Amino acid sequence: MLRALSVGCFMLTFASTSAAAQMPQTVVCAAQVTPIGEYASWNQAAPLAAGHEADSPAVLTLGAASQISLAPTPDVHYAVRPEKPGGSVSYGGLLALDVASAGTYRIALGSAAWLDVIGKDGPQRSTAHGHGPDCTGIRKMVDFALTPGRYIIQISANGTPSLTVLALAVK
Amino acid sequence: MKRRFAALIVAAMVLGNTGLAAKQPAAQARIELGRRLFYDADLSRDGTISCATCHEQHHAFADGNRAHPGVTDEPGRRNVPGLANVGQFTRLTWADSRQTTLERQASVPLFGTHPVEMGMSGMEADISKRLGRDPCYGLMFAAAFPHQNKVITFDKVAGALASFERTLVSRSSPYDRGQLSAEAKAGQALFRRHCASCHSGVNFTDQAYHRLGPIDPAAQDQGLMEVTKRPADRQRFRTPPLRNISVTGPYWHDGSAPTIFAAITRHELNVPLDDLPAMETFLQSLTDTSFMTNPNFSLPRSACGKAL
Repeated sequence: MLRALSVGCFMLTFASTSAAAQMPQTVVCAAQVTPIGEYASWNQAAPLAAGHEADSPAVLTLGAASQISLAPTPDVHYAVRPEKPGGSVSYGGLLALDVASAGTYRIALGSAAWLDVIGKDGPQRSTAHGHGPDCTGIRKMVDFALTPGRYIIQISANGTPSLTVLALAVK
Repeated sequence: MKRRFAALIVAAMVLGNTGLAAKQPAAQARIELGRRLFYDADLSRDGTISCATCHEQHHAFADGNRAHPGVTDEPGRRNVPGLANVGQFTRLTWADSRQTTLERQASVPLFGTHPVEMGMSGMEADISKRLGRDPCYGLMFAAAFPHQNKVITFDKVAGALASFERTLVSRSSPYDRGQLSAEAKAGQALFRRHCASCHSGVNFTDQAYHRLGPIDPAAQDQGLMEVTKRPADRQRFRTPPLRNISVTGPYWHDGSAPTIFAAITRHELNVPLDDLPAMETFLQSLTDTSFMTNPNFSLPRSACGKAL
């Protein structure tokens, strides 16, 4: 059973299944809105080149948005085949997130690309998914309950070679 | 006895689709090719959307969202239907009477513009170009269409997709196995009395177009009339099949009914509210979990003997 939770002006849906249905509804925007609060770094994203190999991912900084440059999908060698691999004309890449304390972590994307979070015990199940604050450019957000350790974040099926990504701890 | 009968039906259906394939390597090759294509996002403009992006196996090949935006982020208009037993349908999609075969219907998501889904309108040549870059695809098309030239065409793509879709047989729910609880049996009796005139047959659809409720001339979606141009077809939609309904929500042509209960009550049936849980229990019994986990239907892990 899914239940919706409204939080401020964005919405996450709690899912009882795997990282399924990471598809937020689209919103028609008359103008861009500047993200605030924990999303404030979104518009000051620092450039970062995603890795092509699972053993050489680019490391994300928790709480700081990154402007990720991706590689053509055929050049990316994922740790685990993504559930939505993307076609040969799409783009993807590999990132890492170091988690120091157990909790819920949110990955925000500027597109509807697919993301998998891989821990030492394999792909992690998402706990919620939805869209970001309306009209901020935060297209999609997926939450994961993570314990301390390094996680590989696989980005796949992105339509362009560049993507804004923000990882943050959910308080 | 019932179980044996159900098994015979399943065997007959599978043989109808894949038994033939066992005798005919090309038929099996078309299924394998179709399965790979079903999961290949190179059939969309920017490589981001495959058939399986919206038709997810764990949702019985429905979606879980009200509607799914396409590659341009244009919002979807209609709820993604599940694909259980889709090979048995002669009327496909919610309200387009032109879509009578799976081969023909494949062009709707690929090339359609109302709304844009996979966004390949005007890019048909890119399909053969993209797929042709992969030598394995060349081998797979040659095996699937052995008596034709080696050119990869959309007709071949559509034919292979249809071959795979015809294998999506779902006939192993508790209902099929005769394992209904007392409450589900009570719900089945109600269902037969109040619903089965439209939700009829083995797939619980008469495949006919109906309108529920009064006409709303201002509605964004005018249903079958958009195709036929006949006023009598205004806001008529195909009766949705109900197999695996517990995992294909939300419901209604626009996904506006979030729960089975909401979908039932919107029919304004003359059924006491207290009886609706039994009907919902019956509908839950149409869930075929093996269909959602069958490895023959999932994202292929290899092709031509190599990992994908």
